[in-house]
Amino acid sequence: MLAAVVRFFVYGIPLLLLALLVASFLTVSSFSTDRKNELTIGSIGEPTKLNPIQSAESGASEVENFIFEGLLQYNENLEITTLLAKSYSLSQTSTFYFSDATAATAALAAVESARGSWSEWTLLNARTDDARLLLDFTLPGLGASDKVLALFTAQPPLPLTTLRVSTGGKARATLAQFLKLSSDLAVERTWFDYDSAFEITVINDGAALREKLKSFLRDTGVSEATAEILETRPYLAEPLVRFQLRDDVRWHDGTPFTSRDVAFTYRSIMDETVASPRKPSFDLIQKLETPGPHEVLVTYRKPFSPALTSWMIGLLPAHLLEDKPAKWWDDNFNRRPIGTGPFKFASWKTNESLRLLRNEDYFEGAPWLEGVVFRYLPDPIALRLAFMTRQADYWGVDPWAVSSFVNDPRFQVFQYPSNSYSYIGWNLRDPLFQDLRVRTAFAHAVNVPQMIKYILYGNGVQSTGIFLPHFWFANPDIAPVSYDPATAARLLDEAGWAPGPDGIRVKDGKPLTFTLIVNQGNEVRKDIATLVQDNLRSIGVEVKVEIYEWSVFITRFINKLEFQATVLGWSTGIDYDAYQVWHSSQTNPEQLNFVGYKNPRVDALLEKIRQEYDPEKIHAMAGEIQKLIFEDQPYLFLFVPNATAVIWKDSFRICRPDGKGGFVDTPVEVTKAGWTYYIQWFYRPEFAGPLPKNREVRP
Amino acid sequence: MNTPAQTPLGRILSRFRRDRFGMIALAGIVVLFVLALVFAILSFARVPFPMDPNATDLERKLLAPNPVNWLGTDNLGRDLFSRMLHGSYISLTVGFVAVAVSLLIGVIVGAVSGYYGRWVDNVIMRVVDAIMCFPTFFLILTAVALLGPSMLNIIVVIGLVSWTGTARLVRAEFLTLRETEYVRAARSLGQRTPAIIFRHILPNAFAPIFVTAVLGVPAAILTEAGLSFLGFGVQPPQATWGNIIADGKTYMLDAWWLIVFPGLAIFLAALAFYLTGDALRQAAETRAERK
Amino acid sequence: MMTFLLRRLLISLVLVFLISLISFFIITLTPGSPYPWGDMNPQISEAVKENFRKQFHLDEPVWKQYWFNMRDLFTGELRSIKDGRPVLTRIGERLPATIALNLCALTIALSFGLLVGVYSARVSGGWQDTSLSTVAFALLAIPEFWVAYLLIIGLTEWFAIPLMGTASHGIIFPNALAAWLDWLWHLALPATLLALGGIAAQSRYVRASMLETLREDYIRTARAKGLRSEIILYHHALRNSLRPVITGIGGLLPALIGGAVIIETIFAYPGIGRLGYQAVLERDYPTLLALNFITAILVLLGNLIADILYSVVDPRVRLE
Repeated sequence: MLAAVVRFFVYGIPLLLLALLVASFLTVSSFSTDRKNELTIGSIGEPTKLNPIQSAESGASEVENFIFEGLLQYNENLEITTLLAKSYSLSQTSTFYFSDATAATAALAAVESARGSWSEWTLLNARTDDARLLLDFTLPGLGASDKVLALFTAQPPLPLTTLRVSTGGKARATLAQFLKLSSDLAVERTWFDYDSAFEITVINDGAALREKLKSFLRDTGVSEATAEILETRPYLAEPLVRFQLRDDVRWHDGTPFTSRDVAFTYRSIMDETVASPRKPSFDLIQKLETPGPHEVLVTYRKPFSPALTSWMIGLLPAHLLEDKPAKWWDDNFNRRPIGTGPFKFASWKTNESLRLLRNEDYFEGAPWLEGVVFRYLPDPIALRLAFMTRQADYWGVDPWAVSSFVNDPRFQVFQYPSNSYSYIGWNLRDPLFQDLRVRTAFAHAVNVPQMIKYILYGNGVQSTGIFLPHFWFANPDIAPVSYDPATAARLLDEAGWAPGPDGIRVKDGKPLTFTLIVNQGNEVRKDIATLVQDNLRSIGVEVKVEIYEWSVFITRFINKLEFQATVLGWSTGIDYDAYQVWHSSQTNPEQLNFVGYKNPRVDALLEKIRQEYDPEKIHAMAGEIQKLIFEDQPYLFLFVPNATAVIWKDSFRICRPDGKGGFVDTPVEVTKAGWTYYIQWFYRPEFAGPLPKNREVRP
Repeated sequence: MNTPAQTPLGRILSRFRRDRFGMIALAGIVVLFVLALVFAILSFARVPFPMDPNATDLERKLLAPNPVNWLGTDNLGRDLFSRMLHGSYISLTVGFVAVAVSLLIGVIVGAVSGYYGRWVDNVIMRVVDAIMCFPTFFLILTAVALLGPSMLNIIVVIGLVSWTGTARLVRAEFLTLRETEYVRAARSLGQRTPAIIFRHILPNAFAPIFVTAVLGVPAAILTEAGLSFLGFGVQPPQATWGNIIADGKTYMLDAWWLIVFPGLAIFLAALAFYLTGDALRQAAETRAERK
Repeated sequence: MMTFLLRRLLISLVLVFLISLISFFIITLTPGSPYPWGDMNPQISEAVKENFRKQFHLDEPVWKQYWFNMRDLFTGELRSIKDGRPVLTRIGERLPATIALNLCALTIALSFGLLVGVYSARVSGGWQDTSLSTVAFALLAIPEFWVAYLLIIGLTEWFAIPLMGTASHGIIFPNALAAWLDWLWHLALPATLLALGGIAAQSRYVRASMLETLREDYIRTARAKGLRSEIILYHHALRNSLRPVITGIGGLLPALIGGAVIIETIFAYPGIGRLGYQAVLERDYPTLLALNFITAILVLLGNLIADILYSVVDPRVRLE
């Protein structure tokens, strides 16, 4: 009896396990291919917080784009257009300060008489207020104000100075205390950077005030405080954006969306306890006003044209989040977000999947798909397996597999240029790379066309500098560096690097060798490094390749500026403002101009382009910046890869509003903004029942 | 147990020689060893035999096994066979040296603990227990992330976390052996402690230690492969069996040979060590049985 | 016996604290930054970074950070740097999946280990025994990630069967049983791969101890008395083989938790191993500290329970 029981344990349990395995295998392999009315997206980057102002990773924005919406958005041609705003308009108030009211009145008369001689903008309004002259222009920027300034030769306006004081805490209290002591001081503008620094704008040059502030700070014992003059200008130029909001939008819980939500989102971004990584884009706002429930007025501290795109940020519901501490956000909202978008949050299993359900009350009409599911997978190979087993509906194809998918009739393939480029950054602080001839020689010696052919399998184009060819402000006239080992060798000879006995070039007894560092986990970059090593060896340069884990790579080498050369890539927004990557002020440790590029002409243009609002002028300046940097070769510009996505043939179509009250029904197609631009209007052909009957069908 | 006619090792080996499986496995190890040695030398002398393991040839990338590239080529057109041969000594070195490190620590700690007993033993064994409580793999991961993934660091880290088993084993042997008559005799003759440990006890504990060492080598080889798989192993372009698989996994659906062959190599090498170790253990145990 | 166990537990606890302190030092010394928004984001200003460091005590000396973290761990307030949620919640939500996987692997390892062990003991010395022992060592020698990939290639290419995560997605299950079997399928593959080494080790233990028992005098007597060999085998011999099984469980537990990193990563399984691996990559110090500490305590408890069971099963063992 006992023996029988034991025997069952010894033989029965393994048998039972085997039987279960076979049963489950048979069950799973017999599942029909009928799909739910859902779109499943395989992704590697799982979000940590679903909160547009607290997250900055691509994995989070991929989800947030379905749930949250901003005032503005890009349209399919990557132009700025409205979303939660019905309309918006730009203008600018420029304020000139004179010594007295008569001078201001005289200036006003001069402006009135010159009115009409400008064609690019209109002067909306001109008035004086005591010794100040206020002018409202239709076009923000410095152009109009500078033209006007030229009229005031007889009685020039007083300069304005902005000072920045870092206190490391209690900035508000410190400023209040200081102003109490110096009641005669006319402070025109104040602005606080969290509570750790403040900026004040005063009339006249700020040197005296700076000294006064310094001694005050010393006396009050704020030892780590610093006071510096940021800039001195002849007038205040304050751009203004006026948004009219849609009045038919509701949050997913039914509460109407109003200007209060916009104001709350801005306040939260600026809140110290929220620690929003998006804050820098909003630092230039002087104030945000809400004159009505559907009207928002944003006043900027100075012209900064890229600031408009920051209003694409997803907005937060004030009625749910106001007065709640940051921990509450993390425990509740950030894991179960509520937005205004076409899909509502449903559930989230960490490391596994995140599910969204369609928003039946969406203001443009409910989507056709019942849900969108994100599946979180650990690596690219898992993504591919998930796609092949129909566990994900599309896959971003690896370059080497593109051709096999293109030629396979089971699939539909989309290709479009990605918003990124790869490069080799030379550390310009290193004596070896200070010689332009050496950098140019390397650029000629590396066979980029071959790289594109074999690493990207032809899916990419050679890079011609910091702006990508498909951006509207890119310079189309730059020719890529040709592959020309002979020229490379000649340039190295000229630079004094003569071939040595073992084939490695030598100068002053030192061999021509350097270390190229790459981050681990990126196959393409590893391959690039290996090819560069090969290419340069053939002109007598020895390259050592070292590979480090990403965090180590960044913190130990790049951020500390302790490297010779590195393979990296930038994925860029459609942004002509390259200040942080190329301005000479950004070359310190942990800053992004880690190659140490310094060019005064580029600096001046970088400063100017951010204050320009006229697209034509932006285009011209951007082209100039791109050309100047390309000629200096601080990077060896490699390539702009194509992105390739694949879906199972006919698994989806698009049925979207045509903007005239009807719907168009098209196959999935690639727009300038990628193939997922209309993703919220995807539908599965087998669930085409609820689609409007009078839609315009395009095959 | 009285005056032995042979050394303990000699006795074990003579028994081992009769184990057919053990001998085959040992032959495998010897072949591997010779191969590794030859290719270590070729590697350092940069002799491109059968081909240069690091020479890329993009025109010949991801080729299936063919008459020129016996085991195919990888994503940069490098010859897989050459890479595996030139990488063979890395796996073996990691295995052997890591085991040596762990033996060194384990034997010393275990010997001290077992010989002195009482509170010394108590303290040391509690420390060993506590260390064994921590998930080893995370420790290795963090330590390698801290020190950087060089071959030396990987060896040291694997050695540092894997000595606890050896220490326990040595301690157990010492606890028994220190009570034997000849050790007591040696002690009463006034011999100094190190002399007793090294001359009298250690040689008698040699067999189990040796077996643990042999069985430790494949474990270390597999750990290195696992680390490589996660990207924390010896870094390219230096080829190792582990990192060939790690690099090749991205291409595995298009180029199966990139993971099949190096995996097979790891498997066979580890198997040879395990079988040899087991045969040795049996040979050693037979001794104990017939006492 | 109780006092002995208690004393031992106490000493071990103190040591676990000490070692967790050391491992915390190692973790925080590791280069890399724990910022949740990546290390090279042009949009992040220095003010934002500084504010963040202050919030998580990252600007304090390491021992103070350890103190803050430990205090918060015990009050349940310790939060991940990455997503700001309590670390215990993060670990807790992985537990069901992890426990399911490890229990499944343990069941497979023990049952198949027992089967193979008993069988090899019965046929000891024969060709079946030799080949089974070779197979056992082969299981030990196989790099698990390698078999996993071979399996995955085969199953995807030939059957196109879903095998990632804990369930098939986007499919309408015909009934509850199908859904359950689907879940089992997603569990079975990683669990089997995890169990391979365990099967090998267990079968060797069982075989050895059974052979040892069969050689004992009382078994010989029983056999001489004419007791059926089956009863001898299953009753007496196997009973004594429970000892290695229990040790086996004790030894397998930590290995299963720590060793699941690779398998969980390959199969996209949402377990603790992946959480820990991500925490290492992201330098999420609080999560790593809590994980190390909690696993250590669990293993400590596991060892203790194994010790107690030991003395229950085998009265010859005295804890002293």
